[in-house]
Amino acid sequence: MHAFVVDLVSTLSTAGYLFIVSAGLTLVFGAMRVINLAHGSFYMYGAFLVTTLVGASSGARFWWAVPACAVAIGAVGAVVELGVMRRLYRSEHLTQLLATFGLLLIFADLALRLWGTGARTVSSPSPFQGRITIAGATFPSYDIAITVVAVLVGVGLWAMLTRTVVGWRIRAVVSDPEALAATGTNTHLLLTVVFALGAGLAGLAGAIVAPQTSIAPGIDQAIIVSAFIVTVIGGLGSIAGTALGAVLIGVAQTLGTRYAPNWASTVIYVVLIAVLAVRPWGLLGAAER
Amino acid sequence: MTVPTLKPRLLAATAVTAALALAVTACSSSAKSTSPGTTSPSASSGSPSSSAPSSGGSVTVGDSTTLSGAIAQLGQTGLDGVKMAIADLNAKGGVLGKTVKLVSADDNITPATGATEVRTMITQDHAIAMFGPVSSAVAAAQEQVTNQYSIPMFFYTSNDMGLMRGGANKYAFQFVPNTTMEPSAVADYFVKQAHGPITIATFAPDYSFGHDTVSGFIAALQRLHVNYRLVAQEFPPLSATNITSYLTAIVDSHPDYVFNAQFGSDLVNFTKQASSFGLFQKTKVIAMYDYNVLAALGSTTPAGSIGFDRAPFWAMPELGNFPQTFKAKYGDYPSEWAIMGYTAVQGWAWAVEKANSFSPSAVASALAGATVPTIRGNLTIQACDHQAEIPEYVGTIAAQPDPRYGVRLWNQPVFSAPFSDINPPCGASS
Repeated sequence: MHAFVVDLVSTLSTAGYLFIVSAGLTLVFGAMRVINLAHGSFYMYGAFLVTTLVGASSGARFWWAVPACAVAIGAVGAVVELGVMRRLYRSEHLTQLLATFGLLLIFADLALRLWGTGARTVSSPSPFQGRITIAGATFPSYDIAITVVAVLVGVGLWAMLTRTVVGWRIRAVVSDPEALAATGTNTHLLLTVVFALGAGLAGLAGAIVAPQTSIAPGIDQAIIVSAFIVTVIGGLGSIAGTALGAVLIGVAQTLGTRYAPNWASTVIYVVLIAVLAVRPWGLLGAAER
Repeated sequence: MTVPTLKPRLLAATAVTAALALAVTACSSSAKSTSPGTTSPSASSGSPSSSAPSSGGSVTVGDSTTLSGAIAQLGQTGLDGVKMAIADLNAKGGVLGKTVKLVSADDNITPATGATEVRTMITQDHAIAMFGPVSSAVAAAQEQVTNQYSIPMFFYTSNDMGLMRGGANKYAFQFVPNTTMEPSAVADYFVKQAHGPITIATFAPDYSFGHDTVSGFIAALQRLHVNYRLVAQEFPPLSATNITSYLTAIVDSHPDYVFNAQFGSDLVNFTKQASSFGLFQKTKVIAMYDYNVLAALGSTTPAGSIGFDRAPFWAMPELGNFPQTFKAKYGDYPSEWAIMGYTAVQGWAWAVEKANSFSPSAVASALAGATVPTIRGNLTIQACDHQAEIPEYVGTIAAQPDPRYGVRLWNQPVFSAPFSDINPPCGASS
């Protein structure tokens, strides 16, 4: 029972973390068919920005700083969409990839100048500074906060995409943008909003994860690999698939660490290859047209 | 406007994405410049020459190290130490009357990039000595190049024992405790703390440095006849941000001690997450808790845990005013990497003066077996393997901030493991 609880909490914590980070990536791909490698940059900027806003001792300020980071990074995303991405929609995927890769490198160098090379930390905000013990297994209470935020983000995105006019338009712009434009919808503005939302989600992820980790140059590069694996496994563009992919990677990483520690870092790639071999479009993704 | 629809090439594109994402750590951000003496790697023409010193009133040395990404702090502060040493040399009239210029570049933690940069510095900029890098993997690639061109290479951060090849490479010098010396020093300190049967877990980055350091620590424990039981061993990827599953495995094994070979932001990350799991309540962690890590941790610094450091300025009175001078110039106290970088440059400059020549062969010969005056005092360079006879420092993290620096450092006195105690026999590195 003890081992099961430990594994369960570890899985949920890992999955929640990965889902928050990956949600924006898959949203942007779902609406715009752009694989945004600079997503990791938005994540890193959210994390750095929250350290600037609240300092090392976060306290209550953390809770207003998190949405502030999401909004600020969303605004940066809007600028990027207007200045760069808009010019790439007609381009090949490879061109888009190279462009976002270039953005990632530019943002990385800019971050070095803004925040330096050293590591930064933020303490966990109240009331999540302690630990919780269940069935003899003790884990940080902030893990609960991250899991809850992940669920809220998932439900919120699902509701937005399926229950709102904006969500309907986002889905419509993928399948038939000309028809949507004919209805009077400003598709340019819509795509700017979607990209800003994706960037904002990345910024939110960086800010919310900050108390759990160290913030330093390079986290953009590390996270984009994990986020990309999660979204590919789940199916690019599928929010539910991303959640499933995050859980799958969480399970693989947790069980891999427990039963094959020397191979733990390899297990997620094995899962990636296995899923792509069976369903090249991901677990819940749509087959290519 | 239109949005491109998915094409059959999507899979290829996604594969490229994965490759690009994975290659991010291996890419770009080009060479960076410096000053007098620093300059950027030039595009000037010139045939490769391993022995001809730079023309005119100056000579050029190079430093290709990591200036971006997760371990940028190590590379940048180390480079600052090299820069300051060169500036101090030039302020005193240079070396053999010539101004020393420095070319530097970002290796992006990529062996191929680092090797290319070193080759460019030697062939295009006529660098007559090289310093750096952070990663031992990059160092091994760069060493191939410097050896090929017979240019002295001074390692001051990367510390893999394999770099020295048992002294077979005439031109390689190591001014940093190697991967056997460091864990041996920790074990020497640790054995005085640990009494009776104990349980130990290990945690280290999943590459050669991590595995070698853990192996060195375990071997030292066996050599010292410590009564221990290994309860868990985890090797998370370097720079992994999410280490929950690895950490829970460690926490669940309830060790008395965790030997952690992580460093920099990875160690900060581990400590924060381990603290949130309550690991430090019953477990002591042994890790590279240097000044930068302790400053970053702030209130989450784990008092009572054991730190090790290759050159802690606060425990080295022989440095004199160097820490303050360094801080005045670069805004913070010198890291261990800065101190070792400064020392390595001093070693090269001393050898040039001793040989009365910039000839790489003469410099290398002068340095082997010599005793060199440095800011750390007189350092002897072993003739057999070119390892500088320097100590490793170990201590227990204090409960209160040091009033001089506002950071929780180590309790006094700090243990300085003598080189003679932790040095493997010459030739053991081959």
